[in-house]
Formats: sequence, C-alpha cells, structure tokens
Amino acid sequence: MSFRGAIFSAVHALFLAGLLAATEPLTKEQIQSAILTETVTIPTPGEFFAAMDEQGQPNWTQLFSPASAGNTASREQMAFMLGVLVADGYIAVEAQDGQGVKNTGKDIINLAKKLNVSQSVLGRGNSINDFAENNDWTALREELEATQNEVKLSMTEQKDKDLVILVTVGAWIRGTQAASGFIAKNYTPGLAGLLRQPAIVEYFLAELGRLPERMQQDPLVAEVQQKLRDTLALVHTKDRTPPAPEAVNDIAATMSSLVNDIARGNKES
Amino acid sequence: MKTLGIFLLSAALLSALETPGSRENPTARSKVLELAGAFANDGYKIRDGYWSGVLEPGKPQILAVNLFAGNAYWFSAAALAPARKLSVTLFDEKGRPLEGELFQDGSTAAAGLLPDASGRYLVRLELVEGDKADFCLVYSYK
Repeated sequence: MSFRGAIFSAVHALFLAGLLAATEPLTKEQIQSAILTETVTIPTPGEFFAAMDEQGQPNWTQLFSPASAGNTASREQMAFMLGVLVADGYIAVEAQDGQGVKNTGKDIINLAKKLNVSQSVLGRGNSINDFAENNDWTALREELEATQNEVKLSMTEQKDKDLVILVTVGAWIRGTQAASGFIAKNYTPGLAGLLRQPAIVEYFLAELGRLPERMQQDPLVAEVQQKLRDTLALVHTKDRTPPAPEAVNDIAATMSSLVNDIARGNKES
Repeated sequence: MKTLGIFLLSAALLSALETPGSRENPTARSKVLELAGAFANDGYKIRDGYWSGVLEPGKPQILAVNLFAGNAYWFSAAALAPARKLSVTLFDEKGRPLEGELFQDGSTAAAGLLPDASGRYLVRLELVEGDKADFCLVYSYK
C-alpha cells in the first residue's frame, strides 16, 4: 500500500465510523453463545489497578505487602499462591518498587520450578529483573502477564491443566484484597463499582466446579469455592449499582482471610 | 480517544511500511499487533492474551469480556486472506449496541470504548466480505 493509499484508507475509515453506528441488538441466543476465554475474558490485576488509579489514586507502596508462601506439598496451594504472587508483582509495579518487583519475580520463578514448569518460563525471571532494573513499568506489566500465561501454557502441556484456573483465581483474590482494602477505607460509589464483578466470580465458580472430584475435596479449594459463593452475593448488585460500604468491608475481610489461608495453607490441606 | 484520527493514520501508515518477516508471512496475530501498536503509541497497554480462531461468512463470533469504568479500551482484530473486510462491534451485557469509536480498514478493524460502568461486555467479530479465514483479536487499555 502506498502512503497516499494509506492516508486515503484512514480517512475512509473515519467516515465508516459514522456509517456503522446503526446496529441491531444481539439476540438472547447470541448472548448465550458468547465465548469465554480465560486469557482475554478475565482482566489482569493491572487493568483493575489502572481503573483504581483513575478514580482513587491509592498509595500503592502501602498496599504492597507481599505474601510469603509457606512450605507445602499441595500443588493446589502452590498454584493459588503463584497467582497471588503475580498480583503482588502488579502491586509492586504500581508502587514503582523495583526491588519489590525483583523479589516477587524471584518468588514466582521459585514456585514455578516446584511445579515443574518448562525452562522457557524460568527465563522470564531474568526479563523481570532487567525491566525492574531499568524502571520500565509498562514492560513489567506486560512481562508479568506473559509470565503468568506461559506458566499456564506449561501447566497445560504437562497435563496439569486443572491447576491453571487456580493461578487465575489466586491472582484475582489478591488483586481484589488490595483493592477492597483500599476502597473500604476510602469509599466512593465509583471505586466500589469496580468491585462489582459478578460475571468473573460466576466464571470462577463454574470452572472450579469442573475440577476433578479429588481436587474439589482439597480443603483450600473447597474454602475458596465457598468464599467465592459468599462474595458473589455481595457483588451481584441490581442494575449495576455499586456494592454498599458494608459489602465492601465484607469483601475485604473475605479476601484477606483467603490470601492468608493460601499463603499459610489451609490447616487441613 | 480524542486522538482517534492520529491513531487511524498511524495504523494505516504502519501497515504501509514494509516490515520484513511479518510482511512476508504474516499471521493473524502479527497483523493485529501491528494495528494495536498504533494505540500503544498513545499509552494503551496491549494484553498478552489473545483470542484467535477461524471466522466464516455469516457466522459472527461473540466474546465476553469484563471491563472497568475509568479505563479506556480498544479491541483490535485482523484476519488473513481470503478475508477482505472485518468488523468489530461492542455491546453491553444485555446485548445493546454501544456507541464508541470504530475503525475499519479491509481485513483489520477496531472498536474503542470508555465504559460508564464496570462489568461484562460483549465483542462481536464479523466477516463482512471474503471467505473463511484465520483471525486474531487483542485488546488494549489505559
């Protein structure tokens, strides 16, 4: 395409923007046929935090309180914890805490090793270090998501596909803990509206419900399921109204207790 | 969002530039990343995750996404030949079409949105002209 052609295309496209405005609504069948794909349908903690930055300007340094993983042989707990650490990485990026990002990156890689992920994931640790060294926060956000996706891909390739959803849920729980803790102390309807994520919680519950019976009997998995059900009742508000202050307090308490149990390991695990 | 014209021009100019490798044998993903790159120049962060598959004429595909009020989003899609024209349209969770900014240039298209409420939204990808082809969709936010 020539430059003149390119410019013409751009102008042509601008005109199309107006012409495409009239669109029929989707039918019920079309809505029900919507595809849910974890890597796109579920937002990253980074997206959540970007929206918080727009509405509340949290002090991310205060919110960065990285969880440390207790020793456990439970692969379920390790998968949840991996997600928690990924969310910690995003919080460290928001806090622009280079050392915090490096430490969290190291913890992610160490835990990933225990789960026998592929060598390619381990190389991500070096990239995280390099970007943190250069304070390249945008690249770090991308690298954290890419690391998480590569860990999940490696799990899938090693027939550990069932652990993938636990990583995603772990990241969401830690992200929601940080967000709800801040919102509970600085309540505004706009900020609280960010916690209204019933579709995500429903998706998690459906996916956890598909796990093999053996995994569902894991006390930590069972606890997460139960507390997500409790959370769904709090975030499933009518007509997209934001959760009330009391509900935000409850969400914050629930998420904190889950993060603690993931880090410590459910005592029955 | 206000600099849509600049984005579109950048996107079109980018596709006019010869980039060896991706140009010789582009995948739907490399093609869509070229388009999304134009938004990245305006501070949009491109998600690493993507949605890909095969798109057929008369069989639009719909993807559910979860967006946050306060963020701005661009959903970019590209298809390979023999696709000739693609469209991306955004809807709320009840299936009502949303007003946003649209870009369409042959087998690449994008739709931008500033959601006024957090929650589920739907993205429809449609092959308007051409035959069954591989596609890829990514989204960017800021």
